[in-house]
This record gives sequence, C-alpha cells and structure tokens, in this order.
Amino acid sequence: MRNSGRLVDILDRMENGPVISEKDFELKLVATRTQELVEEYGLKFDGKNIINTDNDMADRCFQAGLTLAVDAGVFCTSNSRRLTWTRREIEDVIKYAPQSMTIGYGRDSHYDTHRDPEDPKPPTIIGGPVGNPLPEDLFLPVMQTYIQEPIVDSVINGTLNSVYDRAPRAGSPWELLSGWHEAEMSITAARRAGREGISIGCVQTSTSDIGELSATSYGGFRPTDYHHIAMISELKTDYKLLNKMAHLIKTDSIIHSFCNPIYGGLAGGAEGIAVMGVAGMILLQMAYMTTTHSTSPTHPFLQGCNTTPEILWGTSLFTQALSRNTPFLIVVVTTPVSGPGTKSLFLETAAMALTASVSGAARIMGPRSAAGTVPGHCSGLEARFMGEIGHASAGLSREKANEIIQRIVPEYVDLLNTDIKGKRFDEVYNLDTLKPTAEWLSLYDQAKEQITGMGLKLS
Amino acid sequence: MKEINDKLTKLEEAIRKGDDQQAAELTKQAVELGATPIQILQDKMVPTLKDIGDKFGRLEIFLPEMMLAADAAKAVIAILDPILKESKSEGTTIGRVVIGTVAGDVHDIGKNMVARMLEVNGFEVTDLGTDVSVADFLSTARQQSVDIIAMSSLLTTSLPYVRDVISVLRETGEQENFKVIVGGGPVTEEWAKENGADGYGKNAADAVTLAHSLVD
Repeated sequence: MRNSGRLVDILDRMENGPVISEKDFELKLVATRTQELVEEYGLKFDGKNIINTDNDMADRCFQAGLTLAVDAGVFCTSNSRRLTWTRREIEDVIKYAPQSMTIGYGRDSHYDTHRDPEDPKPPTIIGGPVGNPLPEDLFLPVMQTYIQEPIVDSVINGTLNSVYDRAPRAGSPWELLSGWHEAEMSITAARRAGREGISIGCVQTSTSDIGELSATSYGGFRPTDYHHIAMISELKTDYKLLNKMAHLIKTDSIIHSFCNPIYGGLAGGAEGIAVMGVAGMILLQMAYMTTTHSTSPTHPFLQGCNTTPEILWGTSLFTQALSRNTPFLIVVVTTPVSGPGTKSLFLETAAMALTASVSGAARIMGPRSAAGTVPGHCSGLEARFMGEIGHASAGLSREKANEIIQRIVPEYVDLLNTDIKGKRFDEVYNLDTLKPTAEWLSLYDQAKEQITGMGLKLS
Repeated sequence: MKEINDKLTKLEEAIRKGDDQQAAELTKQAVELGATPIQILQDKMVPTLKDIGDKFGRLEIFLPEMMLAADAAKAVIAILDPILKESKSEGTTIGRVVIGTVAGDVHDIGKNMVARMLEVNGFEVTDLGTDVSVADFLSTARQQSVDIIAMSSLLTTSLPYVRDVISVLRETGEQENFKVIVGGGPVTEEWAKENGADGYGKNAADAVTLAHSLVD
C-alpha cells in the first residue's frame, strides 16, 4: 500500500537513519552478512539443477533475504545514512503490497497479476530493448517492431543515443529534452502500430531526476505508463532516486523499480545473489513503494548478461522465494549476450524466459539483446520468441523445465565469451515494411524447432 | 632467513584472508628480522596480489575477498612507506590512477572492481566514487600527478562527460601528462578511439592489462 503518510515516513528515515561509512555498509552489513545468511540457511547451488525445484530451499532463501533486509536496510549515498525498518514493519508492508494492476488504457490495457511457481496463468510479456542505446533515427522503427507483436502486452523503451543529433548530457537541459523526445517518439510508435494505449516503460533516457520529473508531466508520458527507479547495487539509493520516487508517488504513477545483484560482487556467488535478490526486492517496496519489482542479476565480465547457469539458478531461487512468500509482482529481465542475427540470442532468451515463467515471475521483460550495450542491436522478433517461451512454459513443472534447460544451456554457454553481438536492427529488419528479413526469420524458425525438440511445445 | 621466510609465508596468508591487522603486524615482525621492503613487496606481496586478482578474474573468489586483500596490502604499505622514504627507495607503486564514475551516473560496482583490481596489481588508486564532475577528475589528476585517469560510464547520457575530460586535456595541452582509459556498458573500443581516449577496458581484468601497457 502506498500513500503520502508512508512517503513522509520514508523521507524521515532517510534524514534520521543511522550513519555509517559506505565501505562499512558494503563489507560488514552487505558482504559479510550475506555470506553468514547463506551458511545459516543452508543455501547451496549444486551445479546440476539450473532451475531450483526445492520449495523448502526457496522458503529458507526468503527468510535469509528478509533478515538481510532488516539488518542492512538501504544506504543513502547522499548523506551516508541507512534507511532501516524492523522485521514487523517490513512484514506489514509486504502483506499489503500490490499484487495486481491494470496497465495501459482502452483496448490496449492489460491486467497483470501475481504468479506462483508453476502457475498456469501466462506471464505478462513486456517487449523491448530495456535501455539499449538506440540511434535516434532508429528509435521509432525499433520500438514499433516490439509494439506490433501481438504477444507483447506492454513495452519497455531503449535509450536515445542522441537528441536532435546532440549528446543527451545527464543533468543538463539536454537530458530534459531527451526525456520528452523519448515520450514523443515512443507514443508515436504506439500510434503507428495501432496500439496507442499500450503501456510504455519509461523514462529510459532519464538517468538523473530531472528527465523523469520533466517527461512525467502534462503532455509527456501518461498515467498508464510505468516508470523506472533504480536501486544502486547493492542496496543503495541517493537523493536523486528518492526525488523520482517522491514525484512518482505524488503523480500517482506506476513505479517499476529494479535491483540488479552483481554476480561475484558484494553478494558473492549464486547463493549470495539469491539472498540479495530477495533483500533487494523487499527493500524496493520499503524505500520506493514500488508497484512492480524488477531484476536482472548481472555477470561482471560477460557484458552484464544473466544467462549463465549460476545466475539462472540464483534468479530461479529468489523468484520462487518471493513468489511463494509475498504478493509481489515480480519482473525478470532477459539479458542475453547475443544480438540479432544469431541463433544463440533465441537460446539465451529461452533459458531465462523459461526460468522466470516456471519460477513465478508475473512479468518477463526484454530481451535486452546484446546485453543492452551495442547501439541498435535489438529487434522485435526476439520479444515474440521470449513471449512464446514464457507462455509455453506456464504451468510446466520445475522438474520438466529443468530437463529442458539442461539441454538449452550447453548450446550457447561456450559462446558467451565470444563476439556474438550480431547485427544492427536495420540489417535484420526491412525498414520500409518493418518485417524481419528472411534470414532472421529463418533463424527464429530453427530455434523454435530446436526448443520444441528439447521438450517445450511451441505453437 | 628461515624465520623471515616463515613470516612472509604467514604474511601471504594474512593478505589472502584480508586480515589487515595481522598483515601489518607480520610486516613489522619481518622488518625487525631484517626483511627488506623488496623482499616483502616484490617477492611476496605483488605475486600474491596478482594471484588474487587472477582468481577474481576467473570468479574463483569474489569482490569482498579482493577488497579485503587490497586493505591488507594497504596496511603492509603503510608500515613500509616510512622505511622506503628514509632509504629513498622507489617502486612501491607501478603507477598512480584516479578513477571514478562520471557525472550523472551512480553505478559503482564495475568501477569498484576495476579500482580494486588495479590496487591488487600494484597501482596507487584514488577512487573519487560516482557522479564525479569533470573538474574533480582534472583537479585530482593534477594535484596527485597521476599517470592514468580512468573513467567509467554505464549510461549514454553520461558519456558526454567522458568526452569533456578528454577535450579539456586537449585544449589545455595536458594530454601528454595523463593517459585516459575508459569503460562501461555503452563504451566501445571504437567510441574510445573516436573520442581520443588512450585505451578501452572491456572488464576489470582488461583494465589492468591496459593500465600496465600504458605505464610500462
């Protein structure tokens, strides 16, 4: 539940919480405590099961994450204070957290609801490049290719590489213009695709607070769109992010906040990112009064992807932990290293979409193709594929999903450290018709056939 | 000699454990027994830290272990610094680096990994944190006469600030004084070249190799 009373309460905690140095917060409260909790709750990645099938371990992971959320809280880098809550306060907030919502408007609206592990309800499919930098001239056609996919329920924007051919400098009026440019172009893309009311994830080109505050106002993004607030890894925030939160609460906007635990970082390995995932998602609710809780755990060396076996397992465990113990609307982002024009893009996407769907994610987002780092390397076709995997795996047992993913991962895992960024959008789509090239479509067909052969029936 | 070797073996263990107090104590004891700074640093600490950095590069250990090892190494250097200054010896550091995430960007883990990897590989690192202004990068670089300015940017909207630092160095004729290395999500090798950086690091391990090549 969110209200102005809670907003003031959060800001009070921001101003009056205990002071701690950033390094002590990181090492003592985050890193050390996470490892202690991994041991205490007996969490262990056995290297065999890529998708967790153990409900008891999922519940233990939830308790470990909840304890970390209580013990660490959120560190505010602007004033070196911690925002903290008691276990009881956290449990009370979790109880009344949003478990469903309607996004978009008119015939393009969509009802999102909480899902459980192995839930037969299909997850919401959010198609888009999730912040991939897009050349300005490609922004509109790229976004249109996602919006035009019928399986896509909502979209998530890329970021603009330039605004009126100028650099969109953070914290300057250029950032403000970028936010507006993103709004104008993505709403135009929705109109051109004939889905004006589709909900749009925004303001991706706003990195500081001013872009968000500006473009979330009259004439810009709409109340039916949804808005991002990051949590800095691990468990940190600052005044700029809290400015966004305060503005979005007062404008009654849908808040989509995210935390991305870093594999090998302060949380440690696969078990650590699972605990951090739970703690982070809980604290998104406590600090930001978020509507949806999003995550894309990040590999430190492989472009920031989340499709390695360890990260897939960690994601499966904390998604199950949260879906079994909270009403949260959990969002899992698919972040493959591969880009358009490669078959491995579909295989990586399949691995994470399958993991997310059977683990209880309410929404699957992406794919953030080429790990969202190569300008223009993304297209709508991979979102279609992601949606098909998400839908086909709804209701599947985790044991069966495990069998399938054991066959998918070996097909791409050795490629992750190679150059698989693929091709730019205009090399895999016809810019006049906005249809995929025959070559790109053929790889899509091959991937579908391959996944079907592995045991997941795709229509 | 055997006693010194025993102390140095224990020192290695302390560094690997990230126990800064024990590392400082063992360094003192080794010095009292007659160990030279070169024996402690070059023969023991540098290879140990390199091994720790390599293990992190393979993700056999994780960031907290590397942070603690870097702290233990700092404790060793703090003990040896007065001795080195007295004897006017050189070589405690391979090079000086100022590092930070540029203005408008608060991502810090990747930058922290690079900073710690540089430290454990013998560089003296000043970490300015995140959301660092162009002026702060430049003033720190000048004050500390660093060899390398290392900038991280995870956001396209922050990239202009990376370019600003390079532009100012060019316009003030200081480009020869500092090497500029860049990294982060939207940065590519091509972008780095086009915008006048001296090098691009794809990840933390890459950044160390790059930094070595620029100061050698």
